[in-house]
Amino acid sequence: MNVTQTFLMAVKSVLSNKIRSLLTMLGIIIGVATVIVLVASAQAEQKYSRLQMEAEGANRIQIYRWTDDNRLSEEVNDYCKSQVGKTLASVGQYAYGGGITAKYRSKEMDMGNEGNCYFIDEGYSDSTGQKIVLGRDITAADVRNQSRVCVIGDAVRKYFFGAMSPLDQKLKINGQSFTIVGVYASRYGGKLNTEDAFLGLPLSLQRRISGWEEAPDLVACGIDSDSVKKFCSDAKKKFESKFETNGYFDVYSNLQWQERAETEQNKESAKTAGIAAISLLVGGIGIMNIMLVTVTERTREIGIRMAIGARKRDIISQFLIESAVISCMGGAIGIVFGCIGSAIWGKSMFGGMEDNPFMPVVDTFLVTPSISLIVGAFLFSALLGIVFGIYPANKAASMQPVDALRTQ
Amino acid sequence: MFWKRKSTAPPAPETDDSLLIDVRRLSKIYHEGKENEVRALDDISLAVPWGEFLCILGQSGSGKSTLMNILGCLDIPTYGSYHLDGQAVSELPPSTLSAIRNREIGFIFQGFNLIPALTAIENVELPLIYRGMPAGERRRLAKAALEAVGLEKRMSHRPAEMSGGQQQRVAIARAVAAKPPIIMADEPTGNLDSGSGKEIMDQLSELNRQGTSIILITHDNKLAEMARRIVTISDGHIISDRAGRGYA
Repeated sequence: MNVTQTFLMAVKSVLSNKIRSLLTMLGIIIGVATVIVLVASAQAEQKYSRLQMEAEGANRIQIYRWTDDNRLSEEVNDYCKSQVGKTLASVGQYAYGGGITAKYRSKEMDMGNEGNCYFIDEGYSDSTGQKIVLGRDITAADVRNQSRVCVIGDAVRKYFFGAMSPLDQKLKINGQSFTIVGVYASRYGGKLNTEDAFLGLPLSLQRRISGWEEAPDLVACGIDSDSVKKFCSDAKKKFESKFETNGYFDVYSNLQWQERAETEQNKESAKTAGIAAISLLVGGIGIMNIMLVTVTERTREIGIRMAIGARKRDIISQFLIESAVISCMGGAIGIVFGCIGSAIWGKSMFGGMEDNPFMPVVDTFLVTPSISLIVGAFLFSALLGIVFGIYPANKAASMQPVDALRTQ
Repeated sequence: MFWKRKSTAPPAPETDDSLLIDVRRLSKIYHEGKENEVRALDDISLAVPWGEFLCILGQSGSGKSTLMNILGCLDIPTYGSYHLDGQAVSELPPSTLSAIRNREIGFIFQGFNLIPALTAIENVELPLIYRGMPAGERRRLAKAALEAVGLEKRMSHRPAEMSGGQQQRVAIARAVAAKPPIIMADEPTGNLDSGSGKEIMDQLSELNRQGTSIILITHDNKLAEMARRIVTISDGHIISDRAGRGYA
């Protein structure tokens, strides 16, 4: 018997029993929708944190050292510098600039409130993944000579200058005049209150401008993921004990956070997917149950079909296709609900994130299930229908025609 | 017949190849050896040549329906042999039996036995689908068969939307659409008024005149007289085997 014919008959029979079919599909619908929402949101979260990490520099390493002992502090600096070209691509220093106001003509910006001001050296931008789009970076000479120059982020450029070129314009910073020499590329949509609202001044001017001086923090960029790991463990081994009695030392990498977060997420996803799989199993059993009822109800029809020449395999394929049609319809409805659910989930997870200073620039943050996820879910529900249809179909096909015909 | 071509074993020497049906010492016993043992058929022998119009006549419970089920390859005998066109039916695998029912035998049942969810033409097409016939040809044959029984205007009706007589005509169309060499009809007029019953009998007679072998099962003496040969069965035994008046 040809498959198209059987398929059309199966669709007809499913549609002729709408409520019952829908109830039968319910388990599959819920299962598929759950799996899609869970997987899609887990994928979106991973994509989000990966983007965030990439914006900050995938191989970025933070080195925290806090001590009264300047010699020890210098030792760490020297060690980091000595690693450039071995495990590190670059190393830089920065100190937070608090209480700083920038002014251009009548416009003013409170850097503590609306942005971030750092005193930086020549290694800062390379180590934090900042890129110059206009002009030049702060150089070692700027730091050495205490030059009154600054670099700005995209949000600061927009705020003060709009379409105008900011290069060689003078910013008044806490009353002192600085020449803008460079602009960093936008990473967070050029919005205020993000890392794009950036102002960078030569490290050596810290005391002069903010009025106090604190030891700068170190930031570095590893050559690749392996060298990031090597540097972190080497530095820990070398310095942790030295700082034990006097101060505090720690080093961590984005990579390490990312890996830890992803392992956690994967574990979480596996757990929830397991629960969703139970729902799919229950759905499959529901289909088997209703197919057994159908076979019993249609015993006479099976007898007629056998009497006029249906073979065992014709009957088997008829009922298998029917249960596959039910589960595929359930799967398709589940996919629709899964997509809607993902969008709602995405809204609750990422909605309002536009204001998050750490939100990287992404075109849309709708959580959309991937094509492979949708296709996979559909094929799996078809498989489910076939697997759970085998027993009822076999039961139908193993009836004796004469007994089946006798049933009323 | 088609299954003979595939068969490599020569037919058993004692069977008569020219016979359509050759039944020897056939018994069908239910619950054998138990207290409620029923001998539905007891030691029956019957030979039917090709082209016969045979009536199996008997009261209800006589075993005539059991006999038809066995002759129609729907059931297997407990003892004895049944050769259809020289081939021992009880030795054939179920898939071959399905194919025989599909290609060689057209069934007309007392209860019509149409599939309620399918329209008239879909019901008629069903055996042709199982035969693997392409859609176009199958539709053409089904249409022709429905036209032959005067139902060209009822093709897309479901069984529930038709009268008993119309339903039985659909069943006849289904049985004859593929032009099988044998028609087996179990009380084909049983649920019908006398007018519709006569029409059905006329159609069977016409088919026989064109060469189809007909086996009619009934309890009605008057109906039986339309056959050319009447085998009366009672209590599982053949009690008479005589010529009928025939349709001529």
